[in-house]
Amino acid sequence: MSEPIVKYNNVTKYFDDLMVLDGIDFEIQPGEKVALVGPSGSGKTTFARLLMTLEEITDGTIEVAGDYLWHEKDENGDLKPASTDHLRKVRSNIGMVFQHFHLFPHMTVLENIIEAPVTVKGVDKKEAIKDGKEMLDKVGLLDKADNYPAQLSGGQKQRVAIARALVMKPKVLIFDEPTSALDPELIGEVLDVIKDIAEEGETSMLLITHEMDFAREVADRIAFFDAGKIVEDGPPSEILYHPKSPRLKEFLERFMSTQASPE
Amino acid sequence: MSFWELIASMLGQGLVITLLTTVLAAVLALVLGFVAGLMRLSKNKFIRFLVAIYVEVFRGTSLLVQLFWIYFVLPMFGITMTAMTAAVLAIGLNFGAYTSEVVRSGIQSVDKGQIEATIALNFTRVQRMRRIIIPQAFIIMLPNLGNQLIELFKSTSLVALITLTDLTYQANVLNATTLQTTQIFTALLVIYFVIAWPMTKGMKLLERKMTEGRM
Ligand SMILES: Nc1ncnc2c1ncn2[C@@H]1O[C@H](COP(=O)(O)OP(=O)(O)OP(=O)(O)O)[C@@H](O)[C@H]1O
Ligand SMILES: [Mg+2]
Repeated sequence: MSEPIVKYNNVTKYFDDLMVLDGIDFEIQPGEKVALVGPSGSGKTTFARLLMTLEEITDGTIEVAGDYLWHEKDENGDLKPASTDHLRKVRSNIGMVFQHFHLFPHMTVLENIIEAPVTVKGVDKKEAIKDGKEMLDKVGLLDKADNYPAQLSGGQKQRVAIARALVMKPKVLIFDEPTSALDPELIGEVLDVIKDIAEEGETSMLLITHEMDFAREVADRIAFFDAGKIVEDGPPSEILYHPKSPRLKEFLERFMSTQASPE
Repeated sequence: MSFWELIASMLGQGLVITLLTTVLAAVLALVLGFVAGLMRLSKNKFIRFLVAIYVEVFRGTSLLVQLFWIYFVLPMFGITMTAMTAAVLAIGLNFGAYTSEVVRSGIQSVDKGQIEATIALNFTRVQRMRRIIIPQAFIIMLPNLGNQLIELFKSTSLVALITLTDLTYQANVLNATTLQTTQIFTALLVIYFVIAWPMTKGMKLLERKMTEGRM
């Protein structure tokens, strides 16, 4: 087995006195698609936000592509908190798509997409535009290149956000409930785009979702969160059809009864 | 020279001084406001404290007193300046203090999701401020900045009291020499209004232009 692209080692997260993640060990292999499911408040978002460095880690370490994310080694080889430069270097492997898109409202669709390559990576603008247009074509929105985000539907906004994350060529792409802010009729177009990216294969994905059918289709593995721990972790066929823990069984039962199965 | 020609010529000279004071003070206020507003958001406590003192002192005392102090008191400490310099400095510092609050709250009211997006795209702090936060904050600030510009313009009439020969000063001189109080002060009123009103409209237009289709 190759080196994991992401490795959580005994990761713990507190918000003040509230323990949200309880010593989690977890790995993602290069190219692997992992879905995170679990009840509300179980810590899925926090787990992902630690990887995106949007929340600070309380205890434990996370490794990305062989480097510590939140730490670096000092002269004696001991771990110390990462410098900004180190953090940015390691973070460049990670990208994220948010529930509420967070597009830049003062920029056109194309400007949104080329902004980070040009400003952050120093890519030549002409080249960034060429890549950006290609990516827009891929998500089916080339004709919206010159529109502002406010002129797009939710589904279109999310497809732009996905394109914006992809042009940075992250090794790992996080999706935190990418369709839960969308009207039901717009969910399909976004899921299709994510499926396309998944099929291309290179990018590892960490996918927080309540769409079980989608998780089963796209994910190589599903991890079930409960109360700050990963209770079960395995291929979709096992997690969804042969759950072992009573908490997962309960979760799935509640899910099946409240969820009208799409398609 | 006829009576009206005299009025027109003297008020015209005054108007040039008034507009010059407005423009220079507004530029100073805007620069100070941005610098102080950004410093107020610094991680460094000491920097925040310094700016807080500046803001509180200049908001807590009147512009007129500040004008007097800079023009009449500073010379006693060996710092002398022309009435124009004193006027621009006092008005710029005073409005800069208010502007810094506009800048600070404008920056803080940019959606926090924007910051998260820039972290996810690996921006540095400076890149984030320059490319994403300030451009959006500026649009949020625009109505307030516009109001301040008009307030600043009107407040320049105080500089007459430190002998700067602005519009109001000239009107006072004319009034003392011709005693045509009604005509002169009505003309003064009309001139201030005729300048302030298009300024208001212009700011509204700019606002609309900058938000069109975007927000
Ligand atoms: N910034 C914060 N400050 C304090 N508590 C927080 C913060 N963010 C999350 N929490 C708490 O941490 C716990 C885990 O939240 P988290 O958002 O990670 O759960 P989740 O599994 O993503 O839930 P959901 O399915 O509803 O999105 C919750 O109890 C939540 O209230
Ligand atoms: Mg969540």
